[in-house]
Amino acid sequence: MRIKSWIALTRVSIMDFMQFRLSAFVMLIGNIIYLIVIYNLWKAIYASVDNATINGMSFNDTMIYLVLASAQFTFMEAYLVWMMSRSIQSGKIVLDLLKPVPYLQYLLFGLEGGNICAFVVTFIPTFIIVEIITKGYIHLGINILFYLVAATLGMLINFAIDFFVGTICLYTQSTWGINIMKEVVVLFLSGATVPLAFFPETLRKIVMFFPFHAIYNTPLTFLTKGPELSLAESFIMVGEQAAWVIVLILIGKIFWKLSERVITVNGG
Amino acid sequence: MKRLGFYISIYRKIVIQDIKSKMSYRSDFIISMIGMILTDISELAAFYIMFLNFPSVCGWTYHEMLFLYGFSLVALTPLQCLFDNNWQLRHYVYEGDFIKYCFRPINVFFYYISEDFDTKGLGQFFVGFGTIIYAWYKLKLPVTFVNIAALIVALFAASLFMVAIMNIAAASCFFLTNSGYIMVTMNKFRDYAKYPVTIFPIFFRIIFTFIIPIAFIAYFPSLVILRPQNIPFLTWFSPVYGIIFFYISYKIWMFGASKYSGTGS
Repeated sequence: MRIKSWIALTRVSIMDFMQFRLSAFVMLIGNIIYLIVIYNLWKAIYASVDNATINGMSFNDTMIYLVLASAQFTFMEAYLVWMMSRSIQSGKIVLDLLKPVPYLQYLLFGLEGGNICAFVVTFIPTFIIVEIITKGYIHLGINILFYLVAATLGMLINFAIDFFVGTICLYTQSTWGINIMKEVVVLFLSGATVPLAFFPETLRKIVMFFPFHAIYNTPLTFLTKGPELSLAESFIMVGEQAAWVIVLILIGKIFWKLSERVITVNGG
Repeated sequence: MKRLGFYISIYRKIVIQDIKSKMSYRSDFIISMIGMILTDISELAAFYIMFLNFPSVCGWTYHEMLFLYGFSLVALTPLQCLFDNNWQLRHYVYEGDFIKYCFRPINVFFYYISEDFDTKGLGQFFVGFGTIIYAWYKLKLPVTFVNIAALIVALFAASLFMVAIMNIAAASCFFLTNSGYIMVTMNKFRDYAKYPVTIFPIFFRIIFTFIIPIAFIAYFPSLVILRPQNIPFLTWFSPVYGIIFFYISYKIWMFGASKYSGTGS
């Protein structure tokens, strides 16, 4: 019964995505331009040092990491906070709450279809381009399987954080500011802007206590450092992500339960 | 001249109303400001971390790169503060509300743009300004009248380019429906303005100089201050080019507005 409604919601969101094929195409083009910029920037940066690897990251590692982080952003970022805050402001949230599916599930499966489509349309082509440019630098093996699991878990962590931040919007009625703050904090502390390997030792240790690194750094490590990871290490990394998913979804749910009663809709 | 005075007085009135209405959502104002400053600071942190591991980029040191970044932030402030309403244009056109701007006896572009003064852009200005001063001090650049005047002219010229790019991107909604992604894509280019254009291969250098001229947002104008012994011709040309480019974007915008036929509601 539950599963039926999940599938229905996913299907609707896939159809919704199909409406905007052109924008997905432009997104891919934007990603390719980003790839070119990043490639040249880091080539210039690595040209300034004598050794080929810095903190265990070679030029290829860094480039693959950053380009795929940006590609991963395009399919992970569902702009949930925007969506929630808009429906809070417009009053549409009342209709969403009346749906026979819990709000959290309604949002999750209503977004998942778009995530899957964006994965196919932007991530896979970018992945193939990177693999061709670097002449097969990314190891293709069990690590790809781990990546898919880690990326899914990362997406869920991202979703849970978004849901929490979106709930804050019930109190603040600020959309742009809250959203941009969340985006900056998540992108920076997750290692999407600068790879975590380059962070100073203490800062990296601190960052590891937060869930953010599990969104980008963990999945991407499976791609850049694939063959070097042992099976046990891989399972520990994925297990840590799973733990974060459970904790964060739980926190989000409790916070939402407490906040539900402050919803005020003017007119509606 | 009299007309200019008239427009300035109108602009003041509209902006004061807009700021008043924004101040009624005080917490949103404060949170947005913090968000804006946080965004810029995270970029600075990214630079800091990068230069912990690497000494220079293509012959540009840490403080020179900071100068470029600060310069680009200040140069992008007018876009953020004064021209932010362009982001709403496609909604106005799509929903038919744009018609209200066509019935006033003043310039449509002026009236439309003046309606929104984005206060959070000021946060960006302060971070950028602070970064320039810090880099200026660390690079031991001379503080002379000529240098300061050159900086102001260079900033003015630089600010025109991204405004022009976004004007054209926004105007695309007069010709296409759902043109939001064009603005988002063009907006991404501003992130690349903070790097010296010399890191790119020649093909992209030409694109970033003449077609999507982001090299003029920070790189070319900053050379006046950072590399005074060796200033390329394009740097001297940038104020003229900026004004021409802005004028073209204005004409495209107005052409689009003249094609606007309303939605019939």
